[in-house]
Amino acid sequence: MKSLKLIPIAALLAASFSGSAFAQAPAAAPAPPPSWQQGRSAEQDKSTLHPFPPHFTGRASKDLPLDKIKVPAGFKVEVWVEGVPEARSLTMGDKGTVFVGNRNLANVYAIVDKGGKREVKTLLKGLNTPNGVVFHKGTLYVAERNRILAYEGIESKLDSPPEPRVVIDNLDPNKAAGHFWKFLAMGPDGKLYFNIGAPGNIVLPDYNHATISRVDPKTGTMEAVAHGVRNSVGFDWHPKTKELWFSNHARDWVSDDLPNDTLHRVSKKNMHFGYPFCHQGDFLDPVFGKDRTCKEFDPPAAKLGAHIAPMGMRFYTGKMFPAEYQNNIFLAMHGSWNRTTKQGYNVVRVVVDDKGKVAKVEPFVTGFLTDEKADPPMWGRPVDLLQMKDGSMLFSDDFNGIIYRISYAK
Amino acid sequence: MLAAALFFLTCAQAAFAGIEEGRQKAQVCGACHGADGNSMIPATPSISGQPAQFIVTQLFMFREGKRKDAQMSPFASSLTNADLNDLAAYFSAQKPVPLAHKTDADKAAAGKRLSEQNNCVQCHGRTLMGQQHIPRIAGQHVDYLRTQMRGFKAGTRFDMDGQMSSAAQALSDADIEILVDYLAGLVVR
Repeated sequence: MKSLKLIPIAALLAASFSGSAFAQAPAAAPAPPPSWQQGRSAEQDKSTLHPFPPHFTGRASKDLPLDKIKVPAGFKVEVWVEGVPEARSLTMGDKGTVFVGNRNLANVYAIVDKGGKREVKTLLKGLNTPNGVVFHKGTLYVAERNRILAYEGIESKLDSPPEPRVVIDNLDPNKAAGHFWKFLAMGPDGKLYFNIGAPGNIVLPDYNHATISRVDPKTGTMEAVAHGVRNSVGFDWHPKTKELWFSNHARDWVSDDLPNDTLHRVSKKNMHFGYPFCHQGDFLDPVFGKDRTCKEFDPPAAKLGAHIAPMGMRFYTGKMFPAEYQNNIFLAMHGSWNRTTKQGYNVVRVVVDDKGKVAKVEPFVTGFLTDEKADPPMWGRPVDLLQMKDGSMLFSDDFNGIIYRISYAK
Repeated sequence: MLAAALFFLTCAQAAFAGIEEGRQKAQVCGACHGADGNSMIPATPSISGQPAQFIVTQLFMFREGKRKDAQMSPFASSLTNADLNDLAAYFSAQKPVPLAHKTDADKAAAGKRLSEQNNCVQCHGRTLMGQQHIPRIAGQHVDYLRTQMRGFKAGTRFDMDGQMSSAAQALSDADIEILVDYLAGLVVR
């Protein structure tokens, strides 16, 4: 009899710890929806909209309609390397090694030069969602879903990587649903910046969720830098002002056109960008916005379009592109799924004026979106960008496991 | 619409190239999964008519060591990307054969209700035949399904995005029995 009584208690415990997004649900309540469907209204119950998974084996560039890719006059896009499983975050070592992270796999890949030929090398194995990668002063830092690792002197040990040092651990103690993968970047202050995404589509986050935080790689001391950020998987610092800018994904399941995904500028301490109460600076959440006002929160620097999924963003400081591109942001749009008519799947150019205001957002690399009503609507998805030493830029495509190079010649 | 269809076809061909190549490579798989992917072994899943992207994804995860199984892992470890795509092309093109399993009418109704309450249909599709990287669970063996569901609930079964582990938390052992009995009895075509 005892064991019979214990079962429901165990079930109840399991249910209440199954993700903080649903922590308030009692055991008898219906099962939580998949996290990407969380927050859907009753009328949306029959919706067929769904996210698009990548081709993990990658697809050969010869089988893809590369001729559809369009860039402004003078620019050129070519395949730089292919066969990089689910290629997402990019960073480059001092000796030119390009390190590539991903969201669903266990390995970090390195692109190395082997006698003038590029080769994809499986560098690190057995990691947990190694999405974030950044190289700084000889060390490769990798953000897993739960911790950040440091591989010192990695570029001279590509064949036998060193045991990593743990910079910080326990970032995901409850294995939270939702946005558990992390972007990683090195700030001008020598600290590692990363996101801790909201644990669901639209939920009340706990104190460290829905933030961008930073950790001192020497001491492991962590602090939040920006609050009310649903999920940011791309940030960079303005080359002149040294201010942090980041892209952000707004909530799903409101409508095709609301709310906008956004671009943000962090100009002071303790800014709060609204999630889950206010989106895009002026749109109160239908549920969490009750009795709140958007005036309580900091507005975005730009609205980018609903569900367009802005990802990696990098300020351009190279010498190859024309002068007017200097200090512009290149921003990769992974593309929309939660929208009946799809948009995005491109790289946009963001012009920022001298006062730190966004003057213009325009498409830069297009052609991956081929039928906005089809399933899938695209044949490729830009994720992150990387400026090369010669001033050209790489961008990753996780749908196909391809990295492209953008160059310019008069 | 035609353009869309053509585009999709191009994509599908590019990713999942060779049914015939797959047929050759599938011989070793057939020993357990059945030559046409319709498994006769209760603990071994039927892979006929599974979405090609599901087959590729699982084989890839076995190969990369993210999903582990004493029998499957060694087979998958030596497969190339081309092998994965060819095998997926072959097995996804095979016709699923309904199991001999019969579900009592009242239990079937309870199973259907549970599959809707617990959001199975949201990802696996209204007919539970799967889509993209999500498997067909209609007409699948009871034993196999039970093992997977219990594994998801215990957090021991590989789960790419946490969706199944999360969904399984709400299920009692009795719920799992009702569900697998219902799913196994669904007529596939």
